[in-house]
Amino acid sequence: MMPTEVCTPVGKPLPFNDNRHLQAHQFLVDEAYLLDAQDYETWLDTLTDDIRYLMPVRVTTALGAGFDTSPEMAHFDEDKYSLSRRVARFATEHAWTEDPPSRMRHYITNVRTFACEDDAHLVVESAELLFRSRGDVNEAALVSCGRNDVLRWCGDQLRLARRNIMVDESVLRMQNLAVFL
Amino acid sequence: MADHRHVLDGVVDNVRRGMIPAHIYNDNELFELEKERLFSRTWMFVAHESEIPQDGDYVVRRVLDDSFIVTRDADGNIRALFNMCLHRGMQVCRAEMGNASNFRCPYHGWTYRNDGRLTGLPFHREAYGGEGGFPKSRQTLLPAPNLASYNGLIFVNMDPCAQPLEEFLGNFRFYLDFYTRQSPGGLEVRGPQRWRIKANWKIGAENFAGDMYHTPHTHASIVEIGLFREPKAQKRKDGATYWAQCGGGTTYKLPPGNFEQRMRYVGYPDEMIDRLKRVWTPSQQQLVGEDGFMISAASCFPNLSFVHNWPKVLDSPDGTDDVLPFISIRLWQPISENETEVCSWFAVDSAAPPEYKKNSYKAYLMCFGSTGMFEQDDVENWVSLTNTAGGAMARRLLLNSRMGLLSDDRPVVDPLPSEAFHGPGYAQVGYNEHNQRALLRLWADHLEMPVRTAAPA
Repeated sequence: MMPTEVCTPVGKPLPFNDNRHLQAHQFLVDEAYLLDAQDYETWLDTLTDDIRYLMPVRVTTALGAGFDTSPEMAHFDEDKYSLSRRVARFATEHAWTEDPPSRMRHYITNVRTFACEDDAHLVVESAELLFRSRGDVNEAALVSCGRNDVLRWCGDQLRLARRNIMVDESVLRMQNLAVFL
Repeated sequence: MADHRHVLDGVVDNVRRGMIPAHIYNDNELFELEKERLFSRTWMFVAHESEIPQDGDYVVRRVLDDSFIVTRDADGNIRALFNMCLHRGMQVCRAEMGNASNFRCPYHGWTYRNDGRLTGLPFHREAYGGEGGFPKSRQTLLPAPNLASYNGLIFVNMDPCAQPLEEFLGNFRFYLDFYTRQSPGGLEVRGPQRWRIKANWKIGAENFAGDMYHTPHTHASIVEIGLFREPKAQKRKDGATYWAQCGGGTTYKLPPGNFEQRMRYVGYPDEMIDRLKRVWTPSQQQLVGEDGFMISAASCFPNLSFVHNWPKVLDSPDGTDDVLPFISIRLWQPISENETEVCSWFAVDSAAPPEYKKNSYKAYLMCFGSTGMFEQDDVENWVSLTNTAGGAMARRLLLNSRMGLLSDDRPVVDPLPSEAFHGPGYAQVGYNEHNQRALLRLWADHLEMPVRTAAPA
């Protein structure tokens, strides 16, 4: 299997009526419902065992600086094991931050799919807005980000093999990231 | 200067006896007083030197509402320059970090060297009559009134006559070294992650200073998933808490062993232990090797905290329980009486082996910071507390922060003698809130003392 790091999109985005795009889009939408429902154990099964799940810290830099993420620092820099620990924690009765649970809506839009040189993978870009409300009167929080994913065919199922989450804020306005994006 | 006596009525005396008026965690008048009497004259952490390793590197950091460019100039000197153009007050640097020899104001093009000197002034001759009319050579961006560093930690003080930093830190430096000096080269830091929480800044500082009592309950889930074995059951009460001058913290009691065995127990590789032995004093080594205490969380008054824990971060197929330490530095940056910006850095000894740095970073991300599993539950508590502290009923409630004290103020557990605890200050084992009270006593001392009026620069 080709490492996901070298999965580069080939050519233009696939037409929206291309079956591969439809399947990738459906994957993202189905995933959003799992994340809204905090059905994290099912979600974990949609990730490949070699998943790399990354959310860099964004920084404001001068035009032409050549970088806009904090060097070597991320919010999430996860593999399957660390994600599984996070999911296991939510399954305990003592993850107070989500008891009572947040009401969440992951809005996924601007989806486009690219073929890769390697038939086993698709590159999918999407925009995401997470709305998260806690308690009755607390102000709700939003996180806006762009995602660059690599999906891999495992039999007739697509699984997420790599996700790069580019959050649009340098300073997050959410009390924690006890969520997945 | 406004008369603040009424704001402090019933606050300082109660704070000093460990009964905390609940509204201090969400009170606009008190926040204004904190700005005037506390943050205006205490040492405020802004950056670590390893964030600006090369000449020209800079980061932009705030002290309350004031933005400073923390730069390393062409001569390698570290400076903190008030980020406001001398002409019309525009921010001369609007990035958070980068490398620059000059900062040019985007408004009218005044240009400053990275040591603050004004070097470029468009139409200097026509508009100002040249050097004769306006000698630009004597103009610089306003430097921070006071700047000093310890083990690479850079602090700013808004009071030019402040007590020197080393004097302020005093014997708390003994404990700071555990986090910030593990080899002659010292730390390197990454980040910070920054996020805003609707909580008062004091709560985090108090929690890290001494709240060993919350660990078994708040962080029960961490033990259940096998991430960190130490907070299990009642283990935290066997650790010592210490307070030394401007700061204090918590420790865990380690199983029997000597210095090397105990450092290995928390996951330090032998080559790091060799370097630790070269830079830590005999008493610092005795605290671990003889007394058996390993530093965990700590706070330095007013709003700087540290954490050092040793979770299990790797999936070991053979079921071994290998753990690995990480260090985080965090700042509870006050935004208002009910909002704090958390700035959380990952820190690691610069001489540590690459594999150690990689896994220590992973340990940090799993435990602390914006996504950290410890931190998630902490913040939920602090936001809820702050919310509730803003109402009228909170003004009738004195929170009991007297843990570790009997009704006649004698301690529940006697302090540790110096042969059982080789660090300075005072220390004791057992559940208590001595450190939270010590932190808030310093807070009360500052709020009570009027400030001199600073002369305009």
